[in-house]
Amino acid sequence: LRTFSDLNTMLETQFLFLAPAYHLILEGILILWIVRLLFSKTYKLQERSDLTEKEKEELIEEWQPEPLVPPVSKEHPALNYNIVSGPPNHKIVVNGKECINFASFNFLGLLANERVKNAALTSLRKYGVGTCGPRGFYGTFDVHLELEDRLAKFMRTEEAIIYSYGFATIASAIPAYSKRGDLVFVDESACFAIQKGLQASRSNLKYFKHNDMADLERLLKEQEAEDQKNPRKARVTRRFIIVEGLYMNTGNICPLPELLKLKYKYKVRIFLEESLSFGVLGEHGQGVTEHFGINIDDIDLISANMENSLASVGGFCCGRSFVIDHQRLSGQGYCFSASLPPMLASAAIEALNIMEENPDIFSVLREKCQRIHNMLQGISGMKVVGESFSPAFHLQLEKSTGSRESDVKLLQAIIDYCTDRQIALTQARYLDKDEKFLPPPSIRVVVSVEQTEEELDKAAALIKEAAQHNLH
Amino acid sequence: VADVMLSFTTFFFLHFRMQVGVAHSEVNPNTRVMNSRGIWLAYMILVGLLHVVLLSIPVLSVSVVWTLTNVIHNLVMYLFLHTVKGTPFETPDQGKARLLTHWEQMDYGVQFTSSRKFLTISPIVLYLLTSFYTKYDPVHFIINTASLLSVLIPKLPQFHGVRIFGINNFYPV
Repeated sequence: LRTFSDLNTMLETQFLFLAPAYHLILEGILILWIVRLLFSKTYKLQERSDLTEKEKEELIEEWQPEPLVPPVSKEHPALNYNIVSGPPNHKIVVNGKECINFASFNFLGLLANERVKNAALTSLRKYGVGTCGPRGFYGTFDVHLELEDRLAKFMRTEEAIIYSYGFATIASAIPAYSKRGDLVFVDESACFAIQKGLQASRSNLKYFKHNDMADLERLLKEQEAEDQKNPRKARVTRRFIIVEGLYMNTGNICPLPELLKLKYKYKVRIFLEESLSFGVLGEHGQGVTEHFGINIDDIDLISANMENSLASVGGFCCGRSFVIDHQRLSGQGYCFSASLPPMLASAAIEALNIMEENPDIFSVLREKCQRIHNMLQGISGMKVVGESFSPAFHLQLEKSTGSRESDVKLLQAIIDYCTDRQIALTQARYLDKDEKFLPPPSIRVVVSVEQTEEELDKAAALIKEAAQHNLH
Repeated sequence: VADVMLSFTTFFFLHFRMQVGVAHSEVNPNTRVMNSRGIWLAYMILVGLLHVVLLSIPVLSVSVVWTLTNVIHNLVMYLFLHTVKGTPFETPDQGKARLLTHWEQMDYGVQFTSSRKFLTISPIVLYLLTSFYTKYDPVHFIINTASLLSVLIPKLPQFHGVRIFGINNFYPV
C-alpha cells in the first residue's frame, strides 16, 4: 500500500503529463492567443472600412464638389437690406425715413428710457465695459448677484441665473439637464433657440402638434407602453416637456393648466421658455404662470430673454435652487462665456425697478395689443395669427400664392407700402433650411406701450390698405 | 506578511499621491486611468494580496484557493470592466459614456492598446497558473474556464458595444 501511495505522489509531482488532452489544447490556444495579441497593431474601430481600394477610388471619382458660394438671386433678402440709423426706439429711421416702430421687441418701451440709460451710464463709469471673464472665473460683479437676486424675487422663485446672451439661455439650459438617451416632448412651433438646445442635448425628441394636448397625451401614452416593456431603461430615462409661454413663431399661448395635469399624470418635467411672455403677461408681468394663476413652483424651469421687455441684453433662468444651481457648473453658456457687462446688468435692474413701480404698464400693453388686434380682423386675404393679448403676432396670407418665394415677395410689398407711409414692419425671418418645421411666411407686428392709440389705428388702417392694394 | 503589506501601502501612497490633484485635460478620465503610472503593478499586487489572504484560510486546499482567486478576480473584473457603465466624473460628453462599459471607454475605444493587451493577458496567465495548481482537475477546469470566458469574450473587438442576449442592455443610473 505504501508503495502505491508513493507512486501516486510521484505521479502527482509530474501531473503535467497526466493533464487531459482537451486541457492542454485549450492552454495551447490561449498561449497562441497571447502571442498573437502581443503582435496585434492598435486600431480605431471606426477607422476600419470594408471598402476595397478600388471602391474608394470610385467613390472619390463620383464625388461632385459644390461651389463654396452657391448662386444667389439678386432679390435674396440678405442682399436687399434696410439701413437703420439711430436706436430702434418708438421712432425708427429706416433708409433715412422716420417711421413708427412696429418691428422691435421693445414691448415696455424701456429701450429709450432715461432712467435705464442713466443707470447704465453710472455703472459704466464705475465698472468699465467688459468683465473679461466668465462668471466662475473673476467675471462676477456685485450687480450680477443683485440682478439674480432681483429676478428671483420678481418671479417669486428661489434662485435665478443670468446668461450673457438671450439666445444661449434656453439653448444652454436644455442640454444641462437632458442628455443622450433622455426624452424630450416638444411643441412643433418651438423657437429656434429651443431647437438648437435640443440639438446640443442629443436627446431623443418627440414633437407634438402645436398646442395640441391630445397629441401630446398620445405620445406620452405611447411612451408609457414602451416603458412597461423595458422598465429598467425607463427608470433611468429623464423626460421633459418643453413649451413656450407665448410662442415666438405663432403668437399663441401654451395651455399651461392642461400641461400641468399631464406633467403630474405622466411624471414629466416642464421647461417653460418665457422670452415673449415675461414682462408682458400677468398682473405684475411675471409671465404665463401669473396669467393662469399657477404656482410657479409647479414649473421645473423657466427661462426668459432679457432682450425683449427688459430692453437689456442676456437672459435668465429661474426656479428652485436645487435645479438652478446645477447650471452654474453645467450651463455651457454660463460657464464658458464672458459674463454680462455690468452696465447691462444695471440697466436690467433699473428696468425691473420701473416694472415694479408701474404695474399698470402691463394692462396698458394688453389694451393696446387688443386694440390693434381687433382692428386687424377681417382683412380679406389675410389672417391674424396669435392671441389678442400677445404683443407680437403674425399676419399670414389666407391662401398661399403657390410658392413660398412669391408669398414672401407679396408680404414684402405690403411691408414696403407701409414703410413708405411711416409704419415700420418686418417679416418674421427664419433660417429656412435649419428650421425643423418651417412656419409659413408672415408679417410680424410688434406692439409697444409707447405707441399711441392714433398710431395703432393708423398702422392697422395702413396694413388694411396695403393688403387691399397688393392682394386684389 | 505585515511587512509586505506595509511596503505595499507605502507604494500605493507614493504612487497615488502623485496623481491626486494633477491637472489633466481628459473629457472623461476613465479613458486614461488604466494608463496611469503604477496601476498595472498595483493591480498585480492586489491579485497577489487576494491570493495570500485566501491562502491564509486554514480549511481551504491549495486547489480551491487558486480556483477562488481566479473566480473572484474574474468576477471583479467582469463587474468593473464589463458591467458598470458610465463614469463617476461629470463629463461634458452629453452622456456618451453613460452607454459604455469601462472597457469600451478605455483609450477612447482604440483596440489592442497596451492597457487592453495587459488586461486581456492577465486573466489568461492567472488561468494557466490556476490550471497548473488545480492539477488539471475536470471540475476546477469547468469552473475556471467558464469564469475566464466571461472576461475574455467581452474584450474581443467584435463585441465592442454588443450586448449579446440583451445582457446588461439597459441604461445605467
